Amino acid sequence: MLLNQGFMNPAAMSRSPNPPVAADPRQLRRIIAEDPHWFLNTVPSLSNLCLQSIVNHFEERPIWEDLSPVHKDFVQERLSTSMPLHVTANLIHDGVYWKRCCEKWGGIRDLTHYGNSWKRMFFEKHMENMIELFIPDVTEPKTFVKMVPLCKDYIKRLNISQLLPPVTEPQKEEEEEEEYGSELVIENEDGPSMDHFDFNIMLAKLTNLEEFHVVYRVKQCGLNFKCKMLEMTHRDCESLAKAVKSCKTLKILRLNLSHMEDTKCRLLVKYLLDHPSLRELDLSHNLIGDKGARAIGKLLNRSSLETLNLCGNNIGGPGAKALAHALSMNSTLLSLNLRLNRVRDEGGQAIGKALLNNNTLLLLHLGANEVTWPSAIALSKVLVQRSTLKSLNLSCNNLGVDGGKALEEAMSNNSSLTECDIRLTEVEEQSASFVNQVVWTNQSLEQRRHARERKTKKTSTAVY
Amino acid sequence: MEDSDMDPEEAYEPSEMFENEEAKSGASTQEDEEDPDMKVDEEPYEIQHQEVDEEEEEEEEEEEGSEKQILPQRVINLNRDLTTLVTNIQTAADAKESLRQAELEEARRLRLERLEKDLKSSQEIFEEITRGWSLSTQRAIPQELHEALNNQQQLCDAIIEDKKKLINDLQQELKVGDDRFVKDLRKQTEELDLMMERMEDQIKTLIKAYREELTQIERVYTQESEILLTKDKFEWDQHMKGLWEEELKRLTERTVKVEEYENIIHNMMIDTWRKHNIIQTKQHARFQVLERESKQLRIAKFTKTHTRHEIAESKFSLTNIKTRLSGMKKLMANLSDKYKSQRDEFTKKSRYLSEDYERKIKQYECIQKQLKHFAVADGRKFEEMWLMIDAEVKQLVERALDIDSQICKQHLGVAWERPVMGFMELCGPIQPQRVPQLLHTGQDSQDSQRMMDPSVRKEIEAEGSAVQSESGAEEEEEKLPMETLKRVMELLCDKASFLMEDTLLKLLIPLGKEGQTVVKLGSLLSCLGIEEKDIPKLAAFLLKYRHQQREQTEDVCDRSGESNNKAEEEETEPTTHLTSDLDPYDVVPALKSFLRQHMRSRESSARQHHSVYEAARDSSEDEAYWQSMGSVICEDQLRLWDTAEHKLRQYQAVLADISALVPETESLQQQNRELRMLLQQTLKVSTDLEM
Repeated sequence: MLLNQGFMNPAAMSRSPNPPVAADPRQLRRIIAEDPHWFLNTVPSLSNLCLQSIVNHFEERPIWEDLSPVHKDFVQERLSTSMPLHVTANLIHDGVYWKRCCEKWGGIRDLTHYGNSWKRMFFEKHMENMIELFIPDVTEPKTFVKMVPLCKDYIKRLNISQLLPPVTEPQKEEEEEEEYGSELVIENEDGPSMDHFDFNIMLAKLTNLEEFHVVYRVKQCGLNFKCKMLEMTHRDCESLAKAVKSCKTLKILRLNLSHMEDTKCRLLVKYLLDHPSLRELDLSHNLIGDKGARAIGKLLNRSSLETLNLCGNNIGGPGAKALAHALSMNSTLLSLNLRLNRVRDEGGQAIGKALLNNNTLLLLHLGANEVTWPSAIALSKVLVQRSTLKSLNLSCNNLGVDGGKALEEAMSNNSSLTECDIRLTEVEEQSASFVNQVVWTNQSLEQRRHARERKTKKTSTAVY
Repeated sequence: MEDSDMDPEEAYEPSEMFENEEAKSGASTQEDEEDPDMKVDEEPYEIQHQEVDEEEEEEEEEEEGSEKQILPQRVINLNRDLTTLVTNIQTAADAKESLRQAELEEARRLRLERLEKDLKSSQEIFEEITRGWSLSTQRAIPQELHEALNNQQQLCDAIIEDKKKLINDLQQELKVGDDRFVKDLRKQTEELDLMMERMEDQIKTLIKAYREELTQIERVYTQESEILLTKDKFEWDQHMKGLWEEELKRLTERTVKVEEYENIIHNMMIDTWRKHNIIQTKQHARFQVLERESKQLRIAKFTKTHTRHEIAESKFSLTNIKTRLSGMKKLMANLSDKYKSQRDEFTKKSRYLSEDYERKIKQYECIQKQLKHFAVADGRKFEEMWLMIDAEVKQLVERALDIDSQICKQHLGVAWERPVMGFMELCGPIQPQRVPQLLHTGQDSQDSQRMMDPSVRKEIEAEGSAVQSESGAEEEEEKLPMETLKRVMELLCDKASFLMEDTLLKLLIPLGKEGQTVVKLGSLLSCLGIEEKDIPKLAAFLLKYRHQQREQTEDVCDRSGESNNKAEEEETEPTTHLTSDLDPYDVVPALKSFLRQHMRSRESSARQHHSVYEAARDSSEDEAYWQSMGSVICEDQLRLWDTAEHKLRQYQAVLADISALVPETESLQQQNRELRMLLQQTLKVSTDLEM
């Protein structure tokens, strides 16, 4: 050792006959890697080494079920997030691994919205992403076919905020000819189809799906904007309707901002009739007119819908009449939202009459519907005779003084309504304040009742 | 979220401008949509917020508990007012939207009317033009025709102008609509911002209000509890005071009463004591009388009761004994059964074992016979071998001597003497035994190294009679009484305990004396290598040793008649004097000497036993014998032989040289002879000549 050093560095040799040990460069150099599990002293235990090797070869030999819970945690923390899903999907239970996957994927959302399951969050995100970036005729549908069996157990909700149309623009075609080959061009020459992603591929296979939100639009299209981008085609509607029909577990369907006209609406309704589980239907901000409304009225009595949202459509008097007719025979619907339509007095009166025969509806929204005093009178009759309605919204309608007075009288005999919105309705200040007063007292009464119920519940639970 | 929503809408606005009129309706719907879109965004906020408020309320309620179920009006009002503040914006937007829609519808209606009107007017003009064309065909004069054409052109221009105007107006409208759309967007964003602001304010104020409420409630509670506490304390103190006073009163009363009672008790005690004394004396007297009577009675009764008692007891014990007897009998029967079975078993076993033993003995005898036979056969074979080899060797010796004598006599010319060779006369197998006998004749009879032969055994036995006699003496002394033996052994154990291990001694302490000696003796004997049967010998030896010693000392010291007396005493009472005779200090040397002797005798006896069959020959003697044969020619002689051989070799070489030279000399002589003859002839010739 000494000789060796002297040989390497004669100067050091001459300076000190016995050079210090630290002069050895190998001992001076100590790299502490950026590894939080690195220790200076301790040799990692054999079990850890084994687990590390399991982690390293997880793709070829996934050993998971035989591990103890502590070791599972260890593996979860170290497993690569880029592991193919067909290995991990059905093997690794919900936990740190899926959290890491979500983190890698970016944009962690509120876990409580996903039933406190990281795995569900990851798979829903993954599926949504795949669908939103799907380009018809370009992306292989096989990828979906492969993915669906892996994630069908974990997806409960799909919130699809955009659907890309197929590539059709002729000037683009020339550019893309080289990229996508000639077959695509020939197909497009037959007739430009604007069909979007076909949900039939997968919706029936997702056995746990409960919520489904779709918007047929393109986000951030920039200067390539075309009106057609924001519409769903006839064929889209048909495929979607078939898909929804095939999905027997679906509870909530939302189809917003998709340029849905009467014909499409009728088509959709035709497939939704007698759906076993659908509870909530949201078709707000479409172009549904009277015919569509009539179809929906038919749907109301051939399903178990509880919530119907048709706000921002084009429903006029006849449509509202049809809905009212359905309401008068319905016993499932709890909430009806017709905000921003054109119901007018014709519809308002019809709905008022229908409610006299209805015992279930709790919430009615007729805001901004060009309703005037006759409907107000009709509704005040309902308030007097029925005590089911809890919330009524008539804002932005020209009810006038007469309407206000009618409501005032009705409210003096009502003790169930806890919400009543009559702002911007040209009602007299006096009657409006009276109505509000009654509503507030009703609220406090309701609260007391709730408190009492809760108390009795508590005592009853305490007894048992 | 909102930005992302806004961006595309703003982005596709310019493109909307270039849409043709038909797309207008679409565009208008687009505008319709854009507004609700934002509403949709607004709603969740609001709803969430309301929910939050409700939750807060509920929490508040639960905190307050059962006493205050209803919120203070202030908080409820705050809640309500603030939410209305927020929702006001929404409703306002709704109203605006509905108004806008109404306006749009109106505008659309007006536009349609205008278009229709325009269509009508333009159609009229168009009809006029077409009529004009038909008229113009009838005209033949070119000037008229020209005029008509001009007219037509004017009409067409009018139509085109009208259309252009219309288009311009519509485009203007479109532009206005676009501007309005942008303005609306801006306004809506402002509204949204305002709404958010208000919501935040609401949250803040509500939180503040709730906090205040909470502090107030806390304060009220603390105050209440304080008040209650002070009240309770005061009450408690009062009660305590009353209680103390009452207690004190009672205490004094009690002390007074106690004193009274004490007095009464004292009096009563004295009274009773006096009465008691009187009664006692009376009783005493009566008792004495009674006692006297009872004594007489008891004496009478006692005899009766005693006998009765005894009978009962004996009966009881008899029954007891009977039951026990029966039990014992059973036990006996059992035991006898067991005994019988055991006995049978043992007899069987013993029979079997005895048979086995006999068989073994027979086997043993058989083997002994075989052994004897083999020994005899071996001896004979050995004899024959010996004789044969001896004869050969003797011949060889004779030859060697012959050669030696020849060399000496013939070559060296020295007188040769036959060396003394006693062994040469010996012959046969007896020779080897005799040789050692001759060699060791004067030696002691410790003949352990001698080889035994059946023929010579008797002699040896006679020679080893000393040992035999010793052992015989020992045998005789075996008949020493057991008691002496025991005592000797005890002594031995005591004295020779240093030979044993300390741990063993420690372990033996709890045992009784006899047990100790037995174990000690066992270990001692095992370590000394003495067998159990030798014990009596040892005892006898020890006694004897003592005698010898004493005799020696007596011989040396005083040869008075005491010795005889003592000897007589010893003879008479050997046992009593044993312990005193055996001096403890002598035990160890005596033991040593015994061991020495014992070992020797045992070795010899062992040899006696074993030599009968083993031809344990002394190879050293044999070797000496054969050596003596081999060294018949001594070293000097051999050296002499060597030198003689050497010289003879040299001599032979010289002789060989000479023999080689002989023919040469012969040929030379021949030549010489011929030459002489020639000379003679020549001489003869010359002489003849001369003659």
